[in-house]
Amino acid sequence: MINVAVIGFGKLGLLHAGTVSGLAGSRLAVAVDSNKTLLNALKAKMEGTRIYTRHEPLLKDGGIDAAFIATPTGTHVDIALDCVEQGIPIFIEKPLALSGEQARPLVEALEKRPVANMVGYMGRYLDTFAKAKEIVDSGVLGPLEMLRCSMYIGQLFKAGKGWRYDKGVSGGGVLITQNSHVIDKLVWMFGDVDWVSGQTNSLYSTEVEDHAHVFFAFRNGLRGFMDASWSERHYRTPTIAIHVQGRNGTLDVDDDSVRLFLDAKSDAYAEGWSEWRKPDLYRSVPFDIGGPQYTLQAEEFLTAVRGGPNPASDVRSAYAVQCVIDAAYMSAERNGAPIRIAEVMA
Amino acid sequence: MTTSPLVPLVMGHNAFFGVDHLSAQRGAARAASFADPIRILDVIRDGRALGAQGMMMSTHDRAAGLCDLIRSDAALSADLKVYPLLPYAQKYVTRANEVGMVNVVLDSLKGTSFSDKMSLFLQGSRGVLARDVNSVLGALIRLELKPFRGLQMPAVFLHDAFTDLALGLGLKDIFEFYMSELDRAHGAVGAFATKNLPMLLERFDAWGLPTPTVMTHFNKIGFHMNPSREDCEAAAAKYPAHIMAMGTLASGFLRPEEAYGYLGGVKGIESVVVGVSSRAHAEQTFAAIRTHMPVMTGNTVGAV
Repeated sequence: MINVAVIGFGKLGLLHAGTVSGLAGSRLAVAVDSNKTLLNALKAKMEGTRIYTRHEPLLKDGGIDAAFIATPTGTHVDIALDCVEQGIPIFIEKPLALSGEQARPLVEALEKRPVANMVGYMGRYLDTFAKAKEIVDSGVLGPLEMLRCSMYIGQLFKAGKGWRYDKGVSGGGVLITQNSHVIDKLVWMFGDVDWVSGQTNSLYSTEVEDHAHVFFAFRNGLRGFMDASWSERHYRTPTIAIHVQGRNGTLDVDDDSVRLFLDAKSDAYAEGWSEWRKPDLYRSVPFDIGGPQYTLQAEEFLTAVRGGPNPASDVRSAYAVQCVIDAAYMSAERNGAPIRIAEVMA
Repeated sequence: MTTSPLVPLVMGHNAFFGVDHLSAQRGAARAASFADPIRILDVIRDGRALGAQGMMMSTHDRAAGLCDLIRSDAALSADLKVYPLLPYAQKYVTRANEVGMVNVVLDSLKGTSFSDKMSLFLQGSRGVLARDVNSVLGALIRLELKPFRGLQMPAVFLHDAFTDLALGLGLKDIFEFYMSELDRAHGAVGAFATKNLPMLLERFDAWGLPTPTVMTHFNKIGFHMNPSREDCEAAAAKYPAHIMAMGTLASGFLRPEEAYGYLGGVKGIESVVVGVSSRAHAEQTFAAIRTHMPVMTGNTVGAV
């Protein structure tokens, strides 16, 4: 039995707690949150779950096999470093940190003392994006030439409240929060970014950006742009769309479907249009709360905790995403001047 | 088995509120076409005339206006069964992003008669008891159900995200409380939406809870059926439960003939909820249900 501590009981903390408890072979052993009302409510409902208001005494007391860290972004690294020091496997919600610089000590600590680690870019486990990744990896599109993608949600049409709109705690606005999923997908699908040029705009917020427009040049020669906004009307839930064109065809992917067009067929894919909709690609999971992607993600992490391979969505890859975001912010401050990722990482 | 609170054929609400699990874009387009609640009422009247006896309705912000319209129609308010689905999670999720979950609850209950009691709850937060949590939940349920007052409301479904969270955490007490609270305060059956039917039915059996009323996905391709389509079919046949099948067309992926050809062979299903977006669409869908599920509908579905 894997005894899990969930640190930070917001929406995602609750989701992870429910998921690990619903899966066979793991359970919620400890809940950590600074909000006492919430903790006491949990305690009243869940006998046998230990509660703490901070993670340090928990680490001293021990008795856990893995930690899910779902606190505000700026606190992830310090908590994770304390866990790594104790040899406790860590799952960290996205984004990993406020900046690449803040995340770097964690990357280094894991190099010295490797423990199972994962960052919650659950979008990789959405069936349509997993299929798109498979298609890109097959090379069937030929040399990749052009990219355009977007992430829209209509959530902010007046000044927002809370930690997400406080730059010191969140690291920034839409670009680093929901949109970090898109950048993770781009790096996952198309590899390392060479340089970016960014523009941001604050429509309703004072400290953070509500809209971001970033041009990417990947090392493999692919170029294109991304548009992101959390103040886009008509979008009920976060909606991601990616279009990529190669010498041999085009690929369109969003949460609902994958559409492929090929000039010439390959062994695996037909010439002309092919389409896969969500129900075509659906995989049942042992237990589902907020979507199968969260279960698939938790299973992969728990497999690593049991000694299996470490998930590809690890701290190292999330650090690379973070450096792309840093470069985009840096570029936006300089009115779109190109910034090399290697410069940010150095 | 207890008496079922379910009618055989129930109209879904998703098209009206812009929810489309196959295409977000199509969802937004449909919502625009239903911006005028009178148009929704027309479709509900058509669906009723074609044999649907009930309607599923999420506690979306726009539900209140729609409920007013139903109340204003003497025939509908007299015999249309309304099944609320609560809470409308998206509005809380967006708010929770801003102010945190506890504050979402507090803000929501501001101005209700419960808020005075709640400040006591917060001051005494060092010693929160299970019954305090329950009284907060009870107040939230009252708030969510306010728009539905005076309508025929045989059962109230708990959103699957909440059911499945409680299921994962093994919170027997939440299930017990929800059912008793709905019965006591609202005269309705506390029912559950879930994406994990076998686990829910196994747990209810093991915990010795009364026969559950459940809404869950059933379709030929196993879309949203966990841990597998076969396990869901076996659980529905094995355990006592009042089951309303949803997602029967797998979000429009299956044609009605194919969808209900499959569903007609599944044991243990008492009711089907299906989205209707126009009269022609309702006619086609209901005809396929009548053909393939005569036992469930007693050949009466569609009798006008």
